[in-house]
Amino acid sequence: MTNLANDFGVAEPELLDRPEKRGRLGILFWVCVAWLGINIFGAIFANVLPLPNPLANNYSAINFGPSLHHLLGTDELGRDIFSRIVYGSRISVSVGFGAMLIGFGVGAPLGMLAAYRRGLFDQIVTTLMYVFLAFPAIIAVIAVLSFWTPRSLLKIILVIGIASIPLVYRVIRAATLSMGSRDFVIAAKVQGATDRRIIFRELLPNIAPVGISFLLIGIATVVTLEGALAFLGLSINPPQPSWGNMINESRTLLSQNIWIAIFPALALCLFLLSLNYIGDRLRSYFDVSEVKL
Amino acid sequence: MPDRTKLLEIQNLHVNFKKGGQTVSAVAGITFDVYEGETLGLVGESGCGKSTTGRALMRIVEPTSGSITLGGENLSTMKGRALRKARTKMQMIFQDPISSLNPRRRVRDIVAEPIDCWQSSKGEERTKIVDDLLHKVGIDPQVYGNRFARQFSGGQCQRISIARSLAMRPKMLICDEMVSALDVSIQAQILNLLEDLKAEYGLTLLFIAHDLAVVKNISDRVAVMYLGKLCEIGPADLLYAEPAHPYTKFLLGAALAADPNAARPDDILGGEPPSPLNPPSGCRFRTRCPNATEKCANEEPQMQTFSPGHAVACHYPLVIHSKSA
Amino acid sequence: MSDNAPLLSVKNLATTFETARGEVPAVGGVTFDLLADETIGIVGESGSGKTVLARSIMGLQPRTNVRVEGSVQLDGTEIVGASEAELRKIWAVDVAMIFQDPMTSLNPLIRIGKQIDETLRLRLGLNKSDAKKRAIELLDLVGIPSANERYMAYPAQLSGGMRQRVVIAIALACSPKLLLADEPTTGLDVTIQAQILNLLDQLKSDLHMSMVLVTHDLGVVATRTDRIIVMYAGRIVETGTTKEVFAQHRMPYTEALLASTPKVSDASHTRLNAIPGRPPDLLKLAKGCSFAPRCQYATERCHNERPELESSGSPSHLFACWNPLPLPTNRTASSAGSEA
Repeated sequence: MTNLANDFGVAEPELLDRPEKRGRLGILFWVCVAWLGINIFGAIFANVLPLPNPLANNYSAINFGPSLHHLLGTDELGRDIFSRIVYGSRISVSVGFGAMLIGFGVGAPLGMLAAYRRGLFDQIVTTLMYVFLAFPAIIAVIAVLSFWTPRSLLKIILVIGIASIPLVYRVIRAATLSMGSRDFVIAAKVQGATDRRIIFRELLPNIAPVGISFLLIGIATVVTLEGALAFLGLSINPPQPSWGNMINESRTLLSQNIWIAIFPALALCLFLLSLNYIGDRLRSYFDVSEVKL
Repeated sequence: MPDRTKLLEIQNLHVNFKKGGQTVSAVAGITFDVYEGETLGLVGESGCGKSTTGRALMRIVEPTSGSITLGGENLSTMKGRALRKARTKMQMIFQDPISSLNPRRRVRDIVAEPIDCWQSSKGEERTKIVDDLLHKVGIDPQVYGNRFARQFSGGQCQRISIARSLAMRPKMLICDEMVSALDVSIQAQILNLLEDLKAEYGLTLLFIAHDLAVVKNISDRVAVMYLGKLCEIGPADLLYAEPAHPYTKFLLGAALAADPNAARPDDILGGEPPSPLNPPSGCRFRTRCPNATEKCANEEPQMQTFSPGHAVACHYPLVIHSKSA
Repeated sequence: MSDNAPLLSVKNLATTFETARGEVPAVGGVTFDLLADETIGIVGESGSGKTVLARSIMGLQPRTNVRVEGSVQLDGTEIVGASEAELRKIWAVDVAMIFQDPMTSLNPLIRIGKQIDETLRLRLGLNKSDAKKRAIELLDLVGIPSANERYMAYPAQLSGGMRQRVVIAIALACSPKLLLADEPTTGLDVTIQAQILNLLDQLKSDLHMSMVLVTHDLGVVATRTDRIIVMYAGRIVETGTTKEVFAQHRMPYTEALLASTPKVSDASHTRLNAIPGRPPDLLKLAKGCSFAPRCQYATERCHNERPELESSGSPSHLFACWNPLPLPTNRTASSAGSEA
């Protein structure tokens, strides 16, 4: 590891002469960012882009392999797979970001406040969150979505978002706790800083990196969850494409056209890899405690 | 000592912590004054309550009872904004130099934090005050002012902490083990710096540390704590030369001199301090004291002054003992 | 001193860490011998390489990103480049180490008795009941009261001083010939520190061990070592008998270190002679003397040429300096007089 030398007693006596240089993020990081950007761009501008209608059947072109005409081929109804993947990303991206927006919107402020205030407030909220955590989130989500029909994108986002609140709460609270006991927080208090000032000036910048990397990994988890729900038929109803239900539909057709399964799976996989990699790189990039010798 | 004004008066300060249903009395009724312009050293071993005392004075931990009076203002009953305001007159410097500074803020902003909190000055005036303070502590603001705190070594972080603590021109500084994490050569720089700043800003210091040599070097008077109580308080040179409390004597005996000709401490204190959960009756030191008698177990010794400025809480103080013997 | 072969012979030992930002020469060529029954103190500030040196002597460096060169001979066995299996034969039996933080060198989940037993049974092949008996003896030896009951205690149930005693008991389990103590009392209270140091001293003479005492505290080595090595930026800058180093030091860094240490015997408000500046960055060591940038006596030569260790008259006393302090003749007399 990079901080190995430090573990063995080599201190950093002269930090000042060193330019402020962190370890590089690396080319792969930027490749991932670019891939994520393409995905998000596609999701937003899917209907503006020159794509064939993802719902239009074309019985003269069924189960085609990749070609110049249909970049990724067509499915059993002759629909363009590329187009369906781009439209399908809309679901994944909006569920991922939407649910995390809810999770962070509620979980993060609660977690910070509880860890900063401690006391009764912390006890009550933490106990409540742990009660939620004790219940397997995936089962709760499946149960609610099975009964709460007709399903819509908003409902899916809402249910997954609420289910993620305790997880976000736990991470943010832990991060705040480890920061809140540092002397600089006490120092700020002693200098007369108000609680609000301490939270926004001292704590938030130090917790943000943890939050951002958890956010990215959280989005990845939610996207996977949506895929799983779609596979179970609990997400957006066909023929509306989502990566999950595309994989689901391809199940029975694997022997006839392998491409219907491979491309949505690949899209999902690359999207998740990018998110995870970016999250992980950012975490170590912003980690000030990790000495970069 | 000649007529001196008391800046900080501490009356019967108690700090209790709840720990697993039991009450630990970390500070068990201590009373002392700090005079304007002096440095009072507070020494003791870990767990004796010296750091808790410092933190209770700043109201970082809440005192259970007792009063803290700073320049006539009763700090122990203050709340909210009044407390925040009062604390600007008394500042604290912490042990861990790295953790004392927010790693994600720039040096100038860290030093300006108290100024920004109170909006006491802005713009160019603020920058001028901050740069001036940084100069005073030996950090070139032109070169380093915009760096992040995480780029500095321990000694430099401690300098920045000092600059920050002086931003609101406090009357008093509480230094909690502020040099114990530093290397010898850096420690000497910081101690000298502190002496210079004390003279320049007319500061009063409460210097809390476990290192007896460091405490003697910086202090005018020294107070010794054991298990939440004050054992002895007196002028530094006198107390080190003629310790009156047996504990002080052992503590000094155990201090290692950087001198190969120094006598080896053969007569060292055995055992370890008892748990503050269940302190001994009477004198708290009696379980390790070679002179302890029944009286020590039954009766708690009170602080008594037996020469000007030198007080001791012991039934059989050593100096008087040797004189009468 | 006897003319026996030294127990420990370190020659041109260099430990270099390969890091993302370049090579860090944590130990840059160290040579010294340690005789049987001798105690040597290694003194230096953080970053001086004293801990890395101790770990390199022990063969404790990780295999990756570290380059150890030179030679460490312990009683005829070469440690540099030895395989883990070879080192395991030496560890605990020939050489043992005490680390600074007793909490991290003990397993918090295992009763302390078991932790001592383990070494005894593994290394000495004792059976269960013998090992327990010996473990209790050892706990007793290191001054742990009611050793029988403490045998069953977990590390967290003991105070810092007691834990360090347990660590010492484990280190002594196989009666090693050499004990490496890395800051054994840092973090302990003064009275406990005195207890532990006295204990180490007494055990050392009872068990005929040699000891390497690594510390930043001149007070720790002043009365407890035969010889002292002063390190700066990974190199030995001065070495000699304890009295030579304290009373007749020639290297300005040694002088500065002594002058910047506050002393209990000095009157309060005695101005300390602080050394300006900070220790150098090991990533960019100057070609000259590493201390030159902070040295009040530094000349052009100091910045350009690195001084090698040279003798200061007595064969034991070496220093590395182009402009050494003069030998204080009067100090020599006084320290010689008090030696009796």
